[in-house]
Amino acid sequence: MADLDQVKRLIAESLPGAEVEVVDEGGGDHLRAVVSAPQFEGLSRIDQHRLVRSPVQHLMDDGTIHALSIRATDPTR
Amino acid sequence: MPADPELKTKVEEIIRDNDVLLLMKGTPEMPRCGFSMRLVGMLEQLGAEYGAVDVLPALDPLREATGEISDWRTFPQLYVKGQLVGGCDIVEEMFDSGELAGMLGVSQPVGAAAPEPERILPGGSQQSPPMQLG
Repeated sequence: MADLDQVKRLIAESLPGAEVEVVDEGGGDHLRAVVSAPQFEGLSRIDQHRLVRSPVQHLMDDGTIHALSIRATDPTR
Repeated sequence: MPADPELKTKVEEIIRDNDVLLLMKGTPEMPRCGFSMRLVGMLEQLGAEYGAVDVLPALDPLREATGEISDWRTFPQLYVKGQLVGGCDIVEEMFDSGELAGMLGVSQPVGAAAPEPERILPGGSQQSPPMQLG
């Protein structure tokens, strides 16, 4: 069971200035992150998702998070 | 754990040799995960030609391999012209916006929307047979 606040904090800390929302989509281990971050500007979607995923990768590797769906938006677009 | 070099080379070759490649759980005829099923549905709806590899027989070694190749360890993964485009989330956004059709050089079907899981009928004329990894 993932701690939503912890997941949100990890993402927010690695992307200063970002707006981050994390919700449980089911069972406590299928999460959805909605992130708008200035760091996304000019990046491909896959790179935007990598930025969101990387601070919580360890939680995915150890199975705390089974699935993380990501909605990344660039606030400048 | 480092990836098996032989497997990694094999995956790199398959990515290089297929303009559109789907690494998925199950086969296009019988997807074994909802996200893989949705991706197959989108490619079928666009009438795209694509190669598909079932990752389930070697799931963990393939995670290690794609982790090293493209810094991505979850499946499905869609590659176009050798580049990882994304998993289900990204491809769905690109399908809805028409970007995916553009990238694949096909026309967006009128009124197309990313298929919901229950609307997908697996199977179709365009799909390639699944490839074996060795």
